[in-house]
Amino acid sequence: MKAIRRHIKRIAGVLLCLFALLVAYGAYSLTTHGNRWFASNVNTYVRQQKQHVEAGSVYDRNGYLLASTGGNGRLYAEDVRVRNAMVHVLGDEKNNVSNGVESFMSVHLYGFRASFRDRAKAYFAGERLRGDDVVLTVDADLSAYISSVFPEGEAGAVVVMNYKTGEVLGELSFPQFDPMQVTQSTKDDPQKPFFNRAVQGLYAPGSTYKIVTAASALNNLTSAQTRSFQCTGLYQIGEHFITDAGTVLAENKVTSHGQLNLKRAFQVSCNNSFAQIALEIGDENLKLTSEAMGFNDNFLFRDLVVENSSYPLKNRTTKEIAWTGAGQSELLVTPMHMCMITSAVANGGVMMEPMLLKSVAAPDGEVRASYAPRAYETVMTAETSAVLKDYMRSVVTGGTGTRADIPGIAVCGKTGSAEKDGQEDTDAWFVGFLDRQDTPYALSIVVENAGGGGSVAAPVARQIFEYMLSGR
Amino acid sequence: MADRKKRRKDPARGLLSVVMLFYFLAFLMLFIKDGDFRSILLALCVPALTFAGVMGIPRLFPADKLLLSLTNFLCALGVLVLYRLNPERGLTQAANYFVGVVCMLVCTLLVRYWKNWKVLTFLMVPASFALLLLPLIIGTEKNGAKNWIMLGGMSMQPSEVVKLAVLCVTAYLLSKRRTVLTVMFVGICLAILMLQKDLGTALLYYFVTLLLVYVSTGSLPLIGVGLLGGAGAAVMGYNMFAHVRRRVSIWLDPWADVDNAGYQIVQALIAMVNGGTWGVGLGLGNASVIPEYYNDFIFSVILHEFGVVFGVIVLGIYVMIAIRGVMIAMRARTAFEALLAIGCAAMIALQTFVIVGGNIKLIPLTGVTLPFISYGGTSMVASLCVIGLLQGVQSRIQAGVSEDKWLAGQEEGVR
Repeated sequence: MKAIRRHIKRIAGVLLCLFALLVAYGAYSLTTHGNRWFASNVNTYVRQQKQHVEAGSVYDRNGYLLASTGGNGRLYAEDVRVRNAMVHVLGDEKNNVSNGVESFMSVHLYGFRASFRDRAKAYFAGERLRGDDVVLTVDADLSAYISSVFPEGEAGAVVVMNYKTGEVLGELSFPQFDPMQVTQSTKDDPQKPFFNRAVQGLYAPGSTYKIVTAASALNNLTSAQTRSFQCTGLYQIGEHFITDAGTVLAENKVTSHGQLNLKRAFQVSCNNSFAQIALEIGDENLKLTSEAMGFNDNFLFRDLVVENSSYPLKNRTTKEIAWTGAGQSELLVTPMHMCMITSAVANGGVMMEPMLLKSVAAPDGEVRASYAPRAYETVMTAETSAVLKDYMRSVVTGGTGTRADIPGIAVCGKTGSAEKDGQEDTDAWFVGFLDRQDTPYALSIVVENAGGGGSVAAPVARQIFEYMLSGR
Repeated sequence: MADRKKRRKDPARGLLSVVMLFYFLAFLMLFIKDGDFRSILLALCVPALTFAGVMGIPRLFPADKLLLSLTNFLCALGVLVLYRLNPERGLTQAANYFVGVVCMLVCTLLVRYWKNWKVLTFLMVPASFALLLLPLIIGTEKNGAKNWIMLGGMSMQPSEVVKLAVLCVTAYLLSKRRTVLTVMFVGICLAILMLQKDLGTALLYYFVTLLLVYVSTGSLPLIGVGLLGGAGAAVMGYNMFAHVRRRVSIWLDPWADVDNAGYQIVQALIAMVNGGTWGVGLGLGNASVIPEYYNDFIFSVILHEFGVVFGVIVLGIYVMIAIRGVMIAMRARTAFEALLAIGCAAMIALQTFVIVGGNIKLIPLTGVTLPFISYGGTSMVASLCVIGLLQGVQSRIQAGVSEDKWLAGQEEGVR
């Protein structure tokens, strides 16, 4: 009997642990996923409550009114250019765009945080409860300007953020549409205007990924900065060739970069060198560096729903690893994440969590909450980031990204031209930032099926940077 | 004077008044909201009957007041929540409760006075097999599992009833150190349950037996083998049954198919989030969008309308029931009593864990009921019977203690 009693005690401990696990898991999932579940468009309770509440207004960082409740439903910005430019950030009343502010922040907009006093007041006055107003970090004028300089008729995305704070100043997806005039043709558009490419679009990063490969090389290879690599224009792996520097196999044309060091390879975006580097670093180390920068992470940001980026885990042949070094293979990344990586380089290695919500105010103007920037992770050392910054500066001064150059301004960047199966032309990428204390802005641009990053995306970046520098 | 002191100490009494007030106010609120006269009737009857149950039953039968008030609270909570969502279901559940209490008393008396458990075991083993096989022959399929039978217009779930037999038989066999026989008996039960595809119940039988084997033998290698066997069976089940694979994939990512496969669990999670810390308020929620809200997902309904804090309190009540069971087992005088008591406690605790864990997506959802609260006669009766067994053990212990005292007194007298 003594032994039995001892065993019973242990069993009791096990049972108690199980209950503790229930409570702990419940608390964990509510705090990490709660706001996502709440804002989900299958939440019928929210839909039902919305009928009894007058939704609050949405403002941009400068107090520009982006959305408000009118006589028959939601009214969006008066200026049609702003309306179109902000549509993917805001979403729309019909939930065509998923996880826009209109639905993802319904907890504020529809007064779910309203105090008992407010509720009682509304009830006894016989009025509908009014939700809270929301102030976003985005800049409506900047967004409208970006829309005007983005290549006409192309699909793609632009993300602009403050790399010191993580505040998102612009989050644009193309093509856009007018939320007040959604027609059948908008819905049927093969370019899918409802799709928010900035945070949902998963792209091959192409050569912009060389930032990650270079960071990994700096960490893992001895004397990475001084040694030299040999580019032949054609790098053979088994039966496969990695082409480079204008080499066109079909035309039997082979040109090469010749002998170059890491910085030069980065500057001219040499695929051969980066394929060799990736193979030398090894898949495991490259994966570790990528995962440190947020690949394969489950992004659970407070204000934004961002699709998870992925570093390929399956089918890792030598050929695939080599192509990964140059940003191809099965790598997938959102423009938002690419902007975060760029921001981390600019910000001394600290990646900030992208932030969209500046503050929430009660209907009477009283500020309920204002939000502070949050660091997401330190993704590289300050030394590595300084070296990468130097590399990215050289891309703009004398490499593939010269078209982003602004005289007298330290523009840093990296171009990319990502190949996609079943697509005629490459996706044009440019990621970059202004290395200046008073204008700490980073951006990422992708233009689908439009050609080279240096020729298509870099000029757009220059125009955006110039606009921001004009200090309007 | 002494009597009054004793009363003040009685923990069941304080609990009881809180419980009575809670239900009075809850049903009163429903009455104010919908004006249904049945609500006001329940506002008076439920507290009165709770009082009568907790105070009256122990006078007539050997019963534990604390266990009674805890289970009463949970049962009444079930009635309340079901009544609020669907008055007919609530009233049926109240009727189920009365049947359950009668069965509970029968179980208590059986354990208290039955002497020849060998005979009972010989009867229970074939009866269990027969009962479990019935649904395979004349059963109806529900939610992928074929574990229901219709008896004279009433549906019942034999595996719930067999649960009691499993507790008694394993406790008896293990107390006689017949571990192999126990494993064989439960193994056959599990095999039949697998055929019925009633995996939740199979899981419960399996873990309870494993725990009991541990309590009786204390052999960790044996438990290791048992766990390996269980894992093997789980992998086999995963590969054999499509609906198991489906459940697991839903569990891993219910959001992949929000409108169909994942709908249930997603709505349950959303209901929990909507409830938040303090709930949306009794009668103000819309938890009936969750399919099976009255059965598998009733805990989500509670979280939705009463909030997370209250949900934790409800879990705390299950913990208290389990602890009470453990206390009874610790005071047991024979191995049989100890095994039966800890088996009952583990059964209630594990069943709660399995279904609540399924509701909050900690583990894949299996179709077991939330003891005392879920809608359904068989489940209610079976859960109360488990409490009945526990109370039987308790009163046996008390009887034994007083016998000792009497004997001691005799000896003193002789001296």
